[in-house]
Order: sequence, then structure tokens, then C-alpha cells
Amino acid sequence: MEPRKLVIRAYQVGFGDCFLLSFGYSKSEKRGQRERHVLVDFGSTGMPEGIKPSEQMLKVANDIAERCDGKLDIVVATHRHKDHISGFTTNDDETASGNIIARLKPHMVIQPWTEDPALKDPKLPPLKRRGAQGMQASAPAQFFSSLHAMNLLAESAQREVQHLTSAKFRQPLAADVAEQIDFLANDNTLPNRSAVANLAGMGENHYVHFGYPLKLSQLLPGVKVHVLGPPTLEQHAEIQRQRSRDANEFWMLRAAAQRFWGIQSATAAQEQEQEQSQTILFPGADVYQDFFPSHDRWFIRQLRTLRAEQLLGLVRVLDDEMNNTSVILLFEVGGKKLLFPGDAQIENWEYALGQPEVAKLLSDVSLYKVGHHGSRNATPKTLWNMFSHKNPEMKARNRLRTVISTMKGKHGHRQSQTEVPRTTLVKELSNLSDYITTETAAKNAELYVETELRFS
Amino acid sequence: MSTVARPRTRRLTIIAQDPSVRVDGRILTTEVEVPAEEIAPGPRGYRVKVIDYDTSSGVLYQPAAYPPLQNGAYLDPFKEDAALQDNSGLLEDPRFHQQNVYAIVMKTLARFEFALGRRVSWGFRGHQIHVAPHAFADANAFYSKRDQALVFGYFRGLSNELVFSCLSHDVVAHETTHAILDGLRNRFTDPSSPEQAGFHEGFADVVALLSVFSLPAIVSTLLPQGTRKTKLPPFLIDPDDLEVKALRESVLLGLADQMGAEMLGVRGDRADALRRSVTLATLTKRQVQTLPEFQEPHRRGELLVAAMLNAFLQVWRARIEAMKRGRPDAPLDRDLVVEQGADAADRLLTMAIRALDYTPPTDLQFSDYLSALLTADKEVVPDDNKYHYRDIMRRSFANYGIEPASINSSDGTWEPCNADLTYERSHFESMLREPDEVFRFIWENRGELQLHEQAYTKVISVRPCLRTGPDGFVLHETVAEYIQMITLQAQELQYFDPPVGKPSAMSPDQEVTIYGGGALIFDEFGRLKYHVFNRLSNATRQTPRLKYLWRCGYFDTAAASDGGFSQLHLDRALNKRSHIRETF
Repeated sequence: MEPRKLVIRAYQVGFGDCFLLSFGYSKSEKRGQRERHVLVDFGSTGMPEGIKPSEQMLKVANDIAERCDGKLDIVVATHRHKDHISGFTTNDDETASGNIIARLKPHMVIQPWTEDPALKDPKLPPLKRRGAQGMQASAPAQFFSSLHAMNLLAESAQREVQHLTSAKFRQPLAADVAEQIDFLANDNTLPNRSAVANLAGMGENHYVHFGYPLKLSQLLPGVKVHVLGPPTLEQHAEIQRQRSRDANEFWMLRAAAQRFWGIQSATAAQEQEQEQSQTILFPGADVYQDFFPSHDRWFIRQLRTLRAEQLLGLVRVLDDEMNNTSVILLFEVGGKKLLFPGDAQIENWEYALGQPEVAKLLSDVSLYKVGHHGSRNATPKTLWNMFSHKNPEMKARNRLRTVISTMKGKHGHRQSQTEVPRTTLVKELSNLSDYITTETAAKNAELYVETELRFS
Repeated sequence: MSTVARPRTRRLTIIAQDPSVRVDGRILTTEVEVPAEEIAPGPRGYRVKVIDYDTSSGVLYQPAAYPPLQNGAYLDPFKEDAALQDNSGLLEDPRFHQQNVYAIVMKTLARFEFALGRRVSWGFRGHQIHVAPHAFADANAFYSKRDQALVFGYFRGLSNELVFSCLSHDVVAHETTHAILDGLRNRFTDPSSPEQAGFHEGFADVVALLSVFSLPAIVSTLLPQGTRKTKLPPFLIDPDDLEVKALRESVLLGLADQMGAEMLGVRGDRADALRRSVTLATLTKRQVQTLPEFQEPHRRGELLVAAMLNAFLQVWRARIEAMKRGRPDAPLDRDLVVEQGADAADRLLTMAIRALDYTPPTDLQFSDYLSALLTADKEVVPDDNKYHYRDIMRRSFANYGIEPASINSSDGTWEPCNADLTYERSHFESMLREPDEVFRFIWENRGELQLHEQAYTKVISVRPCLRTGPDGFVLHETVAEYIQMITLQAQELQYFDPPVGKPSAMSPDQEVTIYGGGALIFDEFGRLKYHVFNRLSNATRQTPRLKYLWRCGYFDTAAASDGGFSQLHLDRALNKRSHIRETF
């Protein structure tokens, strides 16, 4: 049994991702077997003006239900960012978008290995054992706790921005910096618990990594799915080993990074305590509250800006780390290849790109879901250069298709070359591929854009 | 008229290394000597202005008042608190933290001024550096040129204790060194090579660590209490404990362990960085240049730390040998051994700092620094026969693949300037302090001095110095530095003679700026003694520099290097590698 065609719906979720892949089989199959459906992500952190987020998400969920005739086969949640999973949120009345998806009873749920709840229960308490061996044994659990620490830190960054922009200062903080911190921090705070629970309880769970064997001959006959990321820590270590004389270096660095995030989140917690109990760092000390001596004011202003930039740097790093836990899937079907990399950046890609057989697989990709809404660092140039179906001729046969879900003006700034989608990338994509964007749907007040592939 | 002589220095209490270094449960404190002044509340003084504002909580802490001169002496407001049986109260008083940073910054600055024999400016316009001892809740501390500031964070450490980076001697000295080095050689933060990038960090670590080891209180705490079978009284020490290997274990790694107890987190893992430097296996020049790990600037900087710290142990060891006076097995006086160690660290610190004046102002390599160090020392201490400091330095640097840049002299020092120069039209007096006069001199002699005639050329500084050797020998010198720069299209690089190579993938009309420059050392008669320079049109340096910058993606985006030291520290903490070539 081989699929005849594939229809990809890119839903208009503003700033977020939501793709429905519908594989069409022979009409002679019995009802319920004629199509198979895979949902890749369902989340949003911002809608165009005039669109109410909760309503739009419900519309999308209902459309998914209708399109797949009440049955989803696979759900993929690439990583824990809100703009990829907020749509899975449920409520007590069972009327939320997440409830609608759950009722579609997906058979299988695919998430990165970093989301495996088993990691919460490490056999070794982190940091108790010293030496590379000890680190190695508990490393995945430590990594998991680092991700948790990052979420806590993001919350504290959101609180701290309030301080920096306090009304007591006559000179406001540069608005774009404050907004950026708030936007990135918000996307990185602890994921909605109900969405996480919903994902874990919907179907058979697979927490995957590079090379993970997905057995889909029953669920998606005629479709081969390669998992190209995220790499496991051992796979990451392999990359490091090629660079350094010290075989243990990766594990040392990993442990150091874990300590770093641990310290950051403990410090954030301390800040929160301070805030709540209204005590200060030094309980007995004399302080100036709302009046500052004139000779200190210039420097205090400088310091606020400096801290804001520093916070922005931090939330950027943790945003990157989260993006790099993304599941990367390559669907191989009817001689075509479709690449769905979530928001993966080079650190995630690195291992896969280093494998010769993967490079071969990627060279004739037919459709590429553009990473991270078109940000500047989620389409690694090494990867982009591998695609051989790029073509400046619009009518060329087998021309590469690129699909993007994005929304301008929400994230980053052109001045700092961080705007999303990145202008230079969009130019390249629209010059060398059939470029399909959810912005078209937003402009025409439609719920989605669609593209179809036929297999001979 | 005042009848009481005003003291030149005053003593202030600081925490010797950091609060985790304790003796009998008490925080190890020490008094340091800093230039005396009437301190305004802050402390605010003529070079340092402490402003204790915490951005994370939005609070400004009030400063302590410093009493004026009384009976010919300045009082240290925290002397008594530090002497208490339980002196942990120091940690709870922000005003002590303010004093701690003030004193260490002042002492570090004074240390540079002593070694260089002149006033030293910060790396920004302005005389006073702002210091924020509790700038934010974050495991970071850094120098910010834009904000004319040193900022120190506080955080919750692994033991769940609050950790204040402003209370770590080495952290404060390290960040202060960045600010001073930036004033002495402002082009050293330019993108150039992994070595130039690693130099700022490595040198700041060298100054910080040697500053800590020059405190007898610290050395004494780290030296073992004796491993000899027969028990020694506490004032004696077993010579077996003073072999180089033993000293490395007890003193260098001992400090790393002590630091490890509390300060994990700031700038990556400082204790780990120290441990890595100290235990680094010897390397050849080729290994340094080809092994991928040493192309990373921090790792490269550790070579400098390794070379200097091992030289410190060797020098100390040589001094201990001299103490034995033919009785190799006899126990030695512990205090004398401590004093020799602290002295050795102090002497090496002076050498390390003095070298800066003899370095080329742009595109520094470690080999340049080594030649500068040997030359600067030889000028002040011509006779090195007592402990052979310079031989020890050369050997220690060679162990990490660093050979002197000067190849024509047998001792690795720079060759004296023997160019046929015209002095007739320059005014001697004016040459000592006027950049315009020095510029006239170098312009007039541009051919002999191998300047590039078409480049923009600027004399950055002219500084008369008075350097004192350990034996009281005084050396007068005037140090001037100039830089040259030229901005061209990449395709024009081929017209240099010999041609400078363009990275092959670089577009021919890509704008590139290349630099050159020199340090001019004039003797007391205004004659040019040394001309330490990098020619702008030196293809053997410029070609690899452009290749390196191209590889790092420096030309791809202006945003490549905007985060300064703050971002550098964050990247180091997380071992972030730059992937700028992969981005759109």
C-alpha cells in the first residue's frame, strides 16, 4: 500500500507552527483507510491584530478534526516552546483546542528524548558523584533539570524587566529591548502543564533521538520516517571528541553548563523570595528607596540598560537551547522527501550533517518546512547548500518547495539582523524555491495555506 | 600650615581571596596598602567611584563615611570587625563589600602604576571608574567600557549560599586588569587572531593570580603543615614539601580547590580554568597552532597562564634552593619560605606588567609578549645571574610552544633600534609629552621606521616613565605608541609588496581594514632605543589574520562582536562556539 498523494495544510496560527500532513491512499481502500493524518505542532504566541487567539486556535482544531474525519494517526510535538504546543492546552469543560485534538485519539505521539518523563526520576541525584563517569550516567537527567532551570529563569527575567521599566524612573528603558526580553522570556517559561499532560496521555509515546527506529508500516504504509535530531548526549559527545584531545571534555562541559543553569535558577528563586517578602539582600542595611543622589543617576541609568542587554543575552541563549531540542523528521514517500526540522539550529543539526548517509538523504529534499519561522539561525547554510532542487526557474520540474509559518513584526529587529522572518533568508527562499507562507492566509483572512504533492 | 606629614598610603582590610578561604573557621582577611586619599562616601576617590545599585531589586545601598586624617593616620572602618572571633558579619554589611572592591581596584591600579613607573589611565575617557559591587543577581562579573564600569553580580551558589563575586580577590583583580589593559593597549580587543583574543583573558588571569599569591597570608594558608614522619614544630617546613611538584599540588591546585568551594559559576568555572592551566601538559609550537582546541581563544589564553604560573613555581623553587645553604634535608623556616613565595609572585607580576610597554600595539602574538617581557626586564635588571628569572621564563614559555618573536638576539630580547634616524628637527623636551611632536618625528623618519606612507597614522600616547629595579636602580624612559590603519577593497590587497592574500571566497569589493603600529621606547636622552612594531604591509601577518577573521565570520555581520566582555563570559560559561557562518 503506497500513498498516491500528500496534502500539507499550514494553519494560520500567527506566530507559531501547526501543520497537518494528510497522506492519500487508493480510493479502493475502505473508509478510514483512504487517508492518514499527521499533525506536526500546534501552538501560537501571537496573532495578527483583530484575531482573537483562543477563537482562532479553536477554529484550527475544529478544522483539523473535520479534515481528518475524527481520527489522527500521529501527533508530533517538536519541542516545548509555547509557539509549538500551546494548542494542546485543555480545560475542565473539555472545550479547549487541546480537548478537540485529544478526541481525535492519535495513535502515536512523537516528542524529543528531552521530554521523557522518566528523566524526572534519575537514579543518580545530580552532582553527587564526581568525575566524568558519574556525570555521564546521570547526564540526561541533568540535562532535563537544566531545561527546567531555564524555564524558571525565563520567568524571573519577565519579573526583572518590570523592575527595569519601573515607573519611578524618568528615563524609560529602550522599548525594543524590554519587548524582546518579554517576548522571548514568555515563550520559554514553564510549558502549560495541561498541554504537557495532554500530549503524554493521548497515544503511544515515543521520545526520539537521531537514528530512533520508528515502526510505521501499519500507521503510515509506504512512508519511511527518519529521525535526524535531536542527537543524544553521547552523539553530541562524539562531535566534541573530534575536536578535543580530552575524551571527557564534553561531559565536563555538560556538567559545567548544568551547574550554570542550576545557579541561574537558584538565583532567580532567591530574587523571587526577595520580591515576595519585600526583604532586601542585606536586611539591616540602609538604602535609598525612591530618591537617588544626583551623582549616582547617570550610572544607575547605564546599569539598567546594561542589565537589560544582559538579560536579553541570557534569554536568547536559553531560547536557542530549547530550539535545539527539536525533533527533526524526514519523511520519505513516493520518491519524494519532506523535511520537518521544528526550530532546530546548527547545534542540533551538527551530528546529522556529519553523517555521510544523511547528507545523501538530504540532497534531494522536495519540501522543506522552514526552521523557526524563518529566523536567521535555524536554516544552517550547510543544510541549505545541500538541497539540490533549488532552482531560480519558477517553472522548473521538481523545484524545491518551502513552507513557512511566520508573522512579521513579532520577533527581533532588522537593525540587529535578528528580524523574523529574516529578510535575506526569505529572499533566498523565494528566489530558489516555491515559497509558501501562512502570511498569505493571514492576508486573505483564510485559515490555512495548502500544498499538494502527487506520487507516481 | 600643616605640621603633620600626610601619609602617602593607607591600609584597608579586604578578604584575602574569597569568603570560602577560612582559617580556624574565620574568614581569612588581610590588610592591603593603597594610595592614601580623603575618601568621599561611596567610597568615591580620585580613580574609583563605588555606586552600590542593584538592578535586580532596584535598591541603592547607602555608603559608609570615611573619617578624615586623625593624628597622621587614616582609620580603617572595618579593622575591628575583621578581627572579631566570628568575623562573618563582614559578609552581611554591604559597606564592607564596597570597601573590598574599592581597595582591590585601587591596589591593582597602584600595582600597574608602580611597575610602569607612571600614571595609568582607564580604557575610556574619564578618571574614575564606576564600580557596582551588587550590580545584578547573576553569576557574572565584567568590565564595560561603554558604561565606564566594573560590575559584579551575586548569586546563589551550589551550596545554596549567597555568593558575592565582589568579595573574590581574583575576580576583582581580573576585571580591573581588563579595564587597565584596555587603557594601555586599546587595540587588543580588536578581532585579530585567537592569540590576541586570548591575551586579554589570559593576562587578566595572570595578574589576578599573581596578585593573590603575592599575599603572604594566602601562601601561608596553602602551604602544607608538614608530611614528615618526625613531627616538626609549626614554624618549620619539610623541604620535601617544597619540590615543584609538591608546590603545584599544594599551592596552585590548593587555591583551585578553595575557589571551587564557592565560586563555581562566575566566568564559567574559574577553578576549573585554573586547574586546567596548571595541569596542562607541555606542547610544541606546532600542536598549539594546529590542535583545534587551541584555536578557541579562552583555551589559548590558558597557555599564558600555564607558562607564568609554572615560571612562578620555578622561581620560588630557585629561591628556596638558595635558602638551604648546603643543607638539603634540613627543615626550613616556614615564614621565610612564605615570604620568598609571595616575593617571587610579586616580582613576576612586575615583570608581566612591564612587558606591556614593549609590546606592539596591534595584532599581538604571545611570542611578541615574551620578547617584550624579556626586554623590559633586561632594561631594568641587566644582571639576571642570581635567580635566572629570564631563563626560567623562556623555558616555561617554550614548554607551551611559545618562543620569543625576536630571533636575531640570543637572549630573545628585542633588537635595539639601529635605524639611521633624524633628530635634528625634533624638540627633546616636547618629545617627552607631546603626541604632535612624536608624530612629527616618526613622519620625518617614516622611511627608516618602515611606516606605510598612505595609511592613516596616529600617535596614541606619549608617556614618560621612571622605573625602579629591585636593587633601587632607576631607569628613565619615554614610551610612545602609534597605530596605522588603512581601509581597502579586498582586491587591492594584491598591490602590497609582497602582496597580502585575500581569503579565496571573499568578494573582491569587500571592505577590509588592516592595522599596523609600533611602540617607541626613548631613552633618557630622547634617542630611540627600541622600536617594537608590526608593519602594516606585513603579508606574513596580515594574510593569516584575514583568513582567520573570514573563517570566524567577522565579515559576515556587524552583529558578530557586539556583546563585549559580558557576552564573552556567558559564551565561556556555556562553551558556546560561534556558528556565525551558518546564519542568514
